[in-house]
Amino acid sequence: MAQTQATIELIFPSQLGYEKIAREAIGTLARNMGFDPERVEDLRTALSEACINAIEHGNQRQVQRRIHITCTISRNRLVLVISDEGLRFHPSQEIEAATIEQKLAGLASARGMGLMLIEQLVDECGFLPSRPGQGNRFRLAMYNPPRRHGSASA
Amino acid sequence: MIDDELKVTTRQRDGIWIIDLEGDVTTFAEEAITGAYEGVTKEGAKYIIINSRQSDYINSAGIAILIGVVTEVNRQAQKLAISGLSPHFQKIFRMVGLAQYADIFATEEEAIAAMQRHQQAAVESAQ
Repeated sequence: MAQTQATIELIFPSQLGYEKIAREAIGTLARNMGFDPERVEDLRTALSEACINAIEHGNQRQVQRRIHITCTISRNRLVLVISDEGLRFHPSQEIEAATIEQKLAGLASARGMGLMLIEQLVDECGFLPSRPGQGNRFRLAMYNPPRRHGSASA
Repeated sequence: MIDDELKVTTRQRDGIWIIDLEGDVTTFAEEAITGAYEGVTKEGAKYIIINSRQSDYINSAGIAILIGVVTEVNRQAQKLAISGLSPHFQKIFRMVGLAQYADIFATEEEAIAAMQRHQQAAVESAQ
C-alpha cells in the first residue's frame, strides 16, 4: 500500500467525541503503513488534540460548523491538515503552554496542554498561513522512520 | 454513538481508597471523577489510587481533571498514585509533568505496595 501519494478526507461536526472516529481511522491507516505501535499511539493522541482545538477554539463548539481533515500518505510520510471554520484565529505563538506548577497553583488553566503535547509527539507540526476568518489550518506530519522536530512545511 | 462512557467506582483495600476508571477520560469525566474524589475524601481517605482499568482514550481535558484532583490532594495533605495506564499514557503523563506530583505505576498491585510503604513510613515517623 501507499507506493504513490494518496489523499483521504474526513469531515465531521464540531462536537466533542467525533475526534475518536478520526483517531481510529487514521490510526488504522498508520498501522497499515508500518508505523510502530507506539508511534501510532502518538499520532492518535496528537490528532485527537488537534481536533479538540479545532472544535473548541476554532469552531467554538458550534455543531453545524465542520472539521475537515485531509490526510496525505506517501511511501514514508503521513501528513494531516486539520481545518476548522476559523471563528478564532490561532497565532502560532499559542504553542506555549503554562507549566504544571502554574496549573497546580491556580495561576493558569489546567487545560491548554494540547499543542505542547502535539509538538512532542509528532515529527513536524504548526499552523499553516491563513487570515482571520478564513479558517485555521493545522498541519502535522510523521515519517517512518521518524524525523523528529523538523520545521513544518506544507 | 460518540457519547463518552466512563464508569467510576470506589472501593477500599488495606486502608487505601481506590477510584476505578473504566472508559474514556475526557472533558465529560469531570463530574464523575471529582465526585468520586470528594466522596473518598469525606470518608477520610489519606492514600488514594486512581486506577485506570480500561481507558483507551485519555485526552488533555481528562488530564486537566486529574491536575485538579492533584491540586486538592496537595491541599488536603493526601497521597495520590495513578495505576493501570498503558505505556503510552504513562509517557503522556510524564510529558505534562503530572508524574512529578502523583506516583505512576503500571499495575494496581505496584501502587498498593508503594502506598503501604508510605503508610509504614508515616507510622514509624510518628512513633
